[in-house]
Amino acid sequence: MDDNRYIGLIAVFAPLSILSFGGGQAIVADMQHQTVDVWNWLTGAQFNDLYAISRAAPGPATLIAALIGYHVAGFLGSIVACLAIYIPSSVLVYYAASWWQKHPESRLKRSFERGLGPVAVGLLFAGALAIIESSPMTIVTVLNLFVCTAILYFTKFSPYKMVGVVALTFYALHTVGFGFA
Amino acid sequence: MKPDQAKKPEQSQLVRPTLLELLIVFLKIGVFSFGGGTRPMMHRETVENRPWLSEKDFLAGFAIAQVLPGANPVNLAMYIGLRARGAMGAAIAVFTMIAPAFCIIMAMGFAYQGLTGYPATHFVLAGVAGAGVSATLATGIKVTRNLDRNWMTAIIGLGVFVAVGIFHISMVPVVIVAIPASIATAWYLDRETRRG
Repeated sequence: MDDNRYIGLIAVFAPLSILSFGGGQAIVADMQHQTVDVWNWLTGAQFNDLYAISRAAPGPATLIAALIGYHVAGFLGSIVACLAIYIPSSVLVYYAASWWQKHPESRLKRSFERGLGPVAVGLLFAGALAIIESSPMTIVTVLNLFVCTAILYFTKFSPYKMVGVVALTFYALHTVGFGFA
Repeated sequence: MKPDQAKKPEQSQLVRPTLLELLIVFLKIGVFSFGGGTRPMMHRETVENRPWLSEKDFLAGFAIAQVLPGANPVNLAMYIGLRARGAMGAAIAVFTMIAPAFCIIMAMGFAYQGLTGYPATHFVLAGVAGAGVSATLATGIKVTRNLDRNWMTAIIGLGVFVAVGIFHISMVPVVIVAIPASIATAWYLDRETRRG
């Protein structure tokens, strides 16, 4: 029974590792779809909670795999999920690095760099939509989304400080009686 | 040129670190680069303060780290470890850089389990998720503005968003179609601009 869980974690995270162009943000939509709809490991709300923790935590966004792995199969699950999310992409980088160095500047490399842009952008927005769709929509959460996006787009305010400020603001709001209800 | 240019090592002055030195430096980077700023710290530790890598190699590694799949800082650590000490160096650099963040996120996961009964927890996390999504949106808008402006690029970007975001089609088939199409477009445009 437990063995199946480990295999499931590898089946979900190893392919996503190879597909994480531009980093962990690109695979959020598919990760949510796989873990919530396909494997039924989490509810949409639980996924959003784990996503929030991974955004508040230091380190790469892909570490959300550790949280999901722990939820599914305990501490060993978190290790298995981490290995599955880091090893495939790392092996690819390992081999590509030597090729890249031997071919300093070519049309293929330029095309590769430019060609991944639109795909990465489509995946970024898909990930954002996935989280927004399973978030509770209230005046406070919608306002939060617009204000944060505007601040992060127009200023150089750090996203990590933003997370801290928002967490404190939401805690204060909850204390004075605002909430989902 | 910046005044610190002189500190950057030439190819002939490079030093090969021991595995222990590599481990200590990347553990330090893993611990102190919380909240971003991983790249400048890696540059300072492995190019400026220690002559392990030339400036040119570092920039090449940075380009690879961005283009290939995987978290960019993890990819860059892997590349530096590989250049400095081969396969073993790469494994040590990646492991020691992720380990501190792994411990912290697991501690936060445990705290979450203890606090999940309180309504305030989910309200605060909804706010934090919103801030996280906002960071993604802000990055997405900035990257979109830097893309090539043509119909194919727009169709590919929009197509990927609709397929994965709205129709929840699995990423594997979407990416298998979209990436070759997108690279082919960029290849074609490259020739156009060169002629022009």
